[in-house]
Amino acid sequence: MTALAAPTGVWRREALTEVKRSLRLPQFLLPTALTPAAFYALFTLALPHPEVPGYAVATLAGYGVFAATGPALFGFGAGVAVEREQGLIELKRVSPMPAGAYVAAKLVAAVTITAFALALIYALAIVAGARLSAGTWVVLAMLHLASAIPFALIGFGMGMRMTAKGAVAIANALFLGFSILGGLWIPSALLPGWMQTLGAFTPSYHLGQIARAILDLPTTGSPWIHGAAVLAMTMVAAAWAWTGWRRSPA
Amino acid sequence: MIDDLAAVARLSGVSKRLGGRLVLDGLDLAIRAGEVTALLGPNGAGKTTSVALLTGRLAPDAGTAQLFGIDPRRPAARRRLGVMLQSAGLPDVLTIRELVTLHAGYYPDPRPLNEVLALAGLGDLADRRCGALSGGQARRVQYALAICGRADLLVLDEPTAAMDRGAARTLWGTVRDLADGGAAVLLTSHDLAEADTLADRVLVMDAGRIVADDTPAALRARAGGSVIRCRTTLVPAVAALLPAVREAGMEGADLRIVSVDAAATVRALLDADAQLEALRIADATLEDAIATLLSPIEERKAA
Repeated sequence: MTALAAPTGVWRREALTEVKRSLRLPQFLLPTALTPAAFYALFTLALPHPEVPGYAVATLAGYGVFAATGPALFGFGAGVAVEREQGLIELKRVSPMPAGAYVAAKLVAAVTITAFALALIYALAIVAGARLSAGTWVVLAMLHLASAIPFALIGFGMGMRMTAKGAVAIANALFLGFSILGGLWIPSALLPGWMQTLGAFTPSYHLGQIARAILDLPTTGSPWIHGAAVLAMTMVAAAWAWTGWRRSPA
Repeated sequence: MIDDLAAVARLSGVSKRLGGRLVLDGLDLAIRAGEVTALLGPNGAGKTTSVALLTGRLAPDAGTAQLFGIDPRRPAARRRLGVMLQSAGLPDVLTIRELVTLHAGYYPDPRPLNEVLALAGLGDLADRRCGALSGGQARRVQYALAICGRADLLVLDEPTAAMDRGAARTLWGTVRDLADGGAAVLLTSHDLAEADTLADRVLVMDAGRIVADDTPAALRARAGGSVIRCRTTLVPAVAALLPAVREAGMEGADLRIVSVDAAATVRALLDADAQLEALRIADATLEDAIATLLSPIEERKAA
């Protein structure tokens, strides 16, 4: 009785299929990709704002992170809970697919949708007069895309533990909470003290600060400290996601 | 034991507690290659939990679960396993072709797509999205996913529920062929006619243990011959005292008697109630056999 070797390309095919699935769900794709760009357009372009030079660039830091929270929290948190209730996770679980391929595929799909949202926001920023070097755009885009990872892991842990209804409600609360407390909409410095304190416990706050550092904007404390905080939170989120997968019977 | 040498999947001394209830109680079970094994028993007997342990979705509290000699929770063990679950869903927006191709890709030596679709009777539906399928078609897709990897063990959980009789017969034919080709098949079903048609071996479970392990024919023989049904004023307690009666009870408005000698019982029955109507005599079915097998257990529980 020997175990057979794993076929190659499983992770790649799983990811491509997941992206294909996401693109066929416009009711999920459009709101999650368009909402961040609509917010950015409203607050940076349409509404009156302080005549600070580089305002469009300053707000870009936070809105880019905001663009990553939606697909990750809703695609994973709510999406995984729905898939669990529909028996789709059970279908995967009895198959020889390695568990990691499922998570990685979902992550690729969330990052792909984030990329659409970011492309829209970056285009609006350029229209609003933002001028960055090519290198800065690339580093900023990499950070913004990677921002999806901690939120996706938090969402995955929720999806494995909660009902679809519960997960949608919590995903909404976290979506708003991470955005406001993390200073993604209104700079943290303008928030009341207690909100700033709470904000320090969100990955969004630290990611926003790293994005500001990439854009040469003033940050609170060293970007390395923020990087370490994000890394620590991501590892806790990964443990939360993994235990959720292990303990869920289906 | 020969059992052990040929076993592709095994539960040894397995106990499992779920939600505070002891669902499996020191269960021993072995599935052999080239055989269709039906796992039968009342709801709550532990069939679903046994299948969950063999397919790696649960781990035993005590004892061991083995699939091809290793832990079923390892993907390597599942590369020789094909599963058709009743509780599993299908992704609405993928086509049958896309889904089957994806799943076939999990296996080292998959069956060609067209062969899978033909075996599952899905040839003309390949480009239909899963969300647009009827209940019976969705079950056929689940079957396609179970067989797409040339698995050495097929686990079929209520395979023909929601299928019409024609589709069910076609499926039975292909399952038989796969078993004759050397695959092991584990079948759970509420349809005892299905189990009788398909199974080489029947395991009857009750209260987390195996209470019978035999061929369908041997089990039917154990039930003892015939089932007599009629409309009568006789109550079961009285009917049970008639000659050759093994068991008597009500089935709707009918009195139902299991008899080892139908002629002797019917003669006495007609003597006892001259107004008796609607008399029918049938060979004991697998369902009768299992009801007989489980009834002393029910009494024991009630006592």
